[in-house]
Amino acid sequence: MDDDDIALRNLTYRQFVELGRAPTLHDIAAATGSTPDDVWSGWQRLHDDHALVLQSHTRELRMANPFSAVPTAYRVFADERWWYANCAWDAFGVCAALHADGRIEASCADCGEPIVVDVRDELPDDESLVFHCVVPAVRWWDDIVFT
Amino acid sequence: MNLFRSEEHIGRWLGSRDPGATISVRKLCDLAHAWWGNRLDPNWRPRTREQNQAILNGLGLTDAFWNLSPADPEP
Repeated sequence: MDDDDIALRNLTYRQFVELGRAPTLHDIAAATGSTPDDVWSGWQRLHDDHALVLQSHTRELRMANPFSAVPTAYRVFADERWWYANCAWDAFGVCAALHADGRIEASCADCGEPIVVDVRDELPDDESLVFHCVVPAVRWWDDIVFT
Repeated sequence: MNLFRSEEHIGRWLGSRDPGATISVRKLCDLAHAWWGNRLDPNWRPRTREQNQAILNGLGLTDAFWNLSPADPEP
């Protein structure tokens, strides 16, 4: 990952937070004075380097981890707005990335009962919950959407 | 990567499937802050696999499930 791609990655993340949604190719092209095709080429390199995740069939972002560009079962209220996270780990990661307290709304994957966790000073207010990861770490990026 | 009410719920959800790894939500929160805390830093740069592994190890996630490197080939 060269310095230009790192700069593109950092701009993409910054715009995600400033806009409150995933930036488009045109958003980034307008901000950099480049073309959407140039941005797409850079995003593809960043996808290959696991620095972000692209949609498989459109020229759009899927993930700027921990943020999700699409609605998910993990919603987080932090820094005065709602975000979608990619999974339970990422839900706490949204608070971490924003350096903010927050509220996570999800549900038990088994019974479907709603789960609400407040994060204050980097601590969850309900420590009775547990987290389960099925995919071993070495295979996380084999299929990051499934993971 | 899901949240559950308890380990009993995990067992029921897994059914006959092999389990992965279970950690407390407190550990998950610690992991998230160590892993994602720098993602919006203006001068963010990618971490190496070794640096990522050090984060996992530092939280006591040291068994094979949390190993980011492919296993060494059998001699």
